Amino acid sequence: MIPHPQRLLHFFSQCRRRALSLLRRRRLHREMEEEMRFHLEMQIEQNLDAGMTTEEARYAARRQFGNQTWLKEASREMWSLNWIETLVQDVRYGARMLWKNPGFSGVAILTLALGVGANTAMFSAVDAALIRPLPYLDADRLVMIWDEMSHIGFPKHYSTPPEWLEWRRSNTVFTDIAATQPLKAILSGMGEPEEIPARKVTANVWTVLGVQPLLGRVFNEDEDAHGVRVAVLSHAMWRRRFGGSPDVIGRSISLNDSAYEVIGVMPQAFYFMPGRDIELWIPTSFSAEMLTQFSWHDVQCVARLKPGVTLQQTRESMAALSLRVSAPHVDVPRSAVVTPLREELTGKTRTSLIVLLGASASVLLISCVNLANLLMSRWAARRHETAVRAALGAGRKRLVAQFLTESLMLSGFGSIAGLALAIPLMRFLETLVPETMGAIRLTLDWRVLAFSAGVAIASGLAFGLAPALGWSRRALQEGLRDGGRGALGPSKPWFQHALIVLETALAVVLLTNGGLLLQSFEHLRRLDLGIRRDNLLTFETPLLRYKKFEQSVLFVNAVLEKVRAIPGVVSAGAISNLPLTEIAQTTRYALPGQTGSETRTQDALSRVVTRDYFVTVGARLREGRFFDGSDQRTNSPAAIVNESFADRNFPGRSALGERFKFGWLEEKAYSYTIVGVLKEIRERGVAEDLKPVIYRLHEQADQTGNRPSGVIIRASVNPSSLAPAVQQAIWSLDKNQPVTRIRTLEEIVDRQLSGPSQSSALLSAFALLALLLAALGLYGVLSASVTQRANEIGVRMALGATSNKILFSFGMRGLKLTLFGLVLGLGLAIITTRLMTPLLYGFEPNYLPIAAASSLILLTTAMAACFIPARRASSVDPLVVLRNE
Amino acid sequence: MTKVDILQGTLDMLILKTLSNDEMHGFAIAMRIRQLTDEVIQIGEGSLYPALYRMELKGWIKAEWGISENNRRAKYYKLTRAGRKQLEGEVASYAKLTVAIAKVLQTA
Repeated sequence: MIPHPQRLLHFFSQCRRRALSLLRRRRLHREMEEEMRFHLEMQIEQNLDAGMTTEEARYAARRQFGNQTWLKEASREMWSLNWIETLVQDVRYGARMLWKNPGFSGVAILTLALGVGANTAMFSAVDAALIRPLPYLDADRLVMIWDEMSHIGFPKHYSTPPEWLEWRRSNTVFTDIAATQPLKAILSGMGEPEEIPARKVTANVWTVLGVQPLLGRVFNEDEDAHGVRVAVLSHAMWRRRFGGSPDVIGRSISLNDSAYEVIGVMPQAFYFMPGRDIELWIPTSFSAEMLTQFSWHDVQCVARLKPGVTLQQTRESMAALSLRVSAPHVDVPRSAVVTPLREELTGKTRTSLIVLLGASASVLLISCVNLANLLMSRWAARRHETAVRAALGAGRKRLVAQFLTESLMLSGFGSIAGLALAIPLMRFLETLVPETMGAIRLTLDWRVLAFSAGVAIASGLAFGLAPALGWSRRALQEGLRDGGRGALGPSKPWFQHALIVLETALAVVLLTNGGLLLQSFEHLRRLDLGIRRDNLLTFETPLLRYKKFEQSVLFVNAVLEKVRAIPGVVSAGAISNLPLTEIAQTTRYALPGQTGSETRTQDALSRVVTRDYFVTVGARLREGRFFDGSDQRTNSPAAIVNESFADRNFPGRSALGERFKFGWLEEKAYSYTIVGVLKEIRERGVAEDLKPVIYRLHEQADQTGNRPSGVIIRASVNPSSLAPAVQQAIWSLDKNQPVTRIRTLEEIVDRQLSGPSQSSALLSAFALLALLLAALGLYGVLSASVTQRANEIGVRMALGATSNKILFSFGMRGLKLTLFGLVLGLGLAIITTRLMTPLLYGFEPNYLPIAAASSLILLTTAMAACFIPARRASSVDPLVVLRNE
Repeated sequence: MTKVDILQGTLDMLILKTLSNDEMHGFAIAMRIRQLTDEVIQIGEGSLYPALYRMELKGWIKAEWGISENNRRAKYYKLTRAGRKQLEGEVASYAKLTVAIAKVLQTA
């Protein structure tokens, strides 16, 4: 309904008048007084004319005039914007009240600060990880495409260059598809050689993502097709290595000993695949041969959906297309899986962040409940004053408004304090997010601040309204009547008790879930990794400069010899991928007599090692032997497999002496003989599944396999102290050889455990906080109840009840509330643990000890909380109390 | 201090009507109404001024300081165009109301 324009104008001029009147209050005030004076004088004159004496005239006029104060008030109310004046009044009154009770105010503000601060920090993490827009155009239309290879245990697998090409050519659902491959990039010629995180990308990735460079330009299809050596830098790299100077464009840098021209720099907010730490992008420049390799799985595809196409349509279309494309080239035609890009970048942390957000919300809820109870008790103590104000004309609405103002002020201060608390918490949370997110920055941007403000206001209203609404008229009357002696609770104690039960239940839920997480984390920490972790130093020295097989073998052996000569080194070995660090790197194998189609599910992790490797890491054998001097270069080399491989392919018998080949090399392929079966080493990571692994000696791995560029050293001293000596040793052999990622194995393990460890620590912290707050709440309510029923206690004692009986009676009441809360909480916990299972690292939770432990902790804390007020009850002196009657 | 209780709306109407021909100050308005109604309706300051201020905020009357008959400063009120319209409306509905009430009172 469009309002009549005339009326609209009228309304606006009314508003303006009101606003103006507010501004010119003082002048209007004076004018009003003058007007009243005039009226009075006129009345006096009229009286004089009517024949009264001066005295009588004045008196009559005054009397007729009535109560001037009330008149002025009423008139004034007409003038000003009423609510602002009353608001200011309420605020000043509220501030005075808060100031006069520093203890209460302090506790309340602190409780709120904790609640609001924790929630703000958690929300900023959720926002940064899950909500904040990705730095791409229309990021919700971006997806990733994977090969569906669940037949070898990888439901989502990297795809291949020819698939990218075909998909790009033949799809009907995308505007374009881009591909990216990993790249080991060693930057040299500028001081020490450094390995930088880098990716190869197809030239259309920039348009698929919809991004523009900050400086210079990005490479185009032409350059990609012709293998032109150009590079685009990240903002961080530009600042760090080139000082942020604009003349970086056109500079030549040496990557992997080839000259590349820097043509562009990306903006600061940009990041691409998979983490935020990628610093450089070069064109993929697929060779013609590469584009026929249907088994070269290291490509990740990113695509943009066509307008109007849904994800479901895309999934169906790509599944069919992929099968068609792969069928002529592979034994097992494979389908494709399409996932939203955002999920890929943030999926791992989603559950834990949401659980933590839920936990912090529960803590806030409990604080609000406590504050509500506290306020109820305090206002009960001020009941007399409130009743008088009510009698003097303050309506119930005004009283509620007054209380709400007080509670909103409390929550206001609490949330400001909370914001201060949130900042260090956010710094801490930044370390929680896993490696794929890189250096994520949590900031107090407008969304987070709005959330914080919303939370503060909501909690202020929650704990302000609840008691205010519980204020019945009867309570007001009672307040007037007995003059405010003693502190009577509000007339509905069951409400407070229900709140206590609720917050106890919440605390129990948090305790049990925290316990679950701790339990799983403990399992994870104690897990047998298959190697002896202590005093192991690791580093990587990429062998890109030793491309020929014999060169690389000689170099590796020379490096190891040099390293062994360092004092403090017990033994040293090398492997193609350090344990715990590489999820894949697999290869197809074939057992004798198998045809192509039979091998389709046979993929194993492939690792190439030096002779001393197993001894260095402290691996154990189930049967057979390690590699030794008898294994030289030959065309029937040896292999060592792990238990998973042996159990899978040779169940129930010894695997020693069995043979296999790497399937895709056909006749030329060496036939490997198994000489040892290794007890499981967790090659893929602390929390990852075990898969079959094949280990080969590097001197025999001339046909296929990566070079052993990861060196591992067992030291007799603190391993980190050997780092400089190690670097020197290598540079004495080749001064341009990069030595990167020097870290101890313990550091690798800790890094993988850091996420889980911090999650469980955080959740446990929330749980303990919740428990503390719930206990405080219980204490507060019982305490108030004791004060309230002091008279009754006195009577009971006078009638013969012993102090022990009183103690018991109050203790029981507290216990009852706790038990209700415990039962309710355990019930709720059963539901919520369902939500927690993805966080438990694949371990089966053992509920009973956790439930028992939580119950015990809760009951002891509750007992402690009840004890003090119960003692107070039992020590009531009946004479004192009854005398006041 | 009215002898007969009248509703706020009716009071407004009376004030507006009084001002429809003249500019007056508050005291004069009260006097005029007393005279016209033979002292039946006596509007006290407690009702008069709040009503005047309210109507001024609503834009039905406008106030200006002037000099009274006995050389004192006084606030004079006059009707605005919106006020005149309001008055017409109120008079019409009051008439309707009176007729309606009369009908009810006529039935035995």
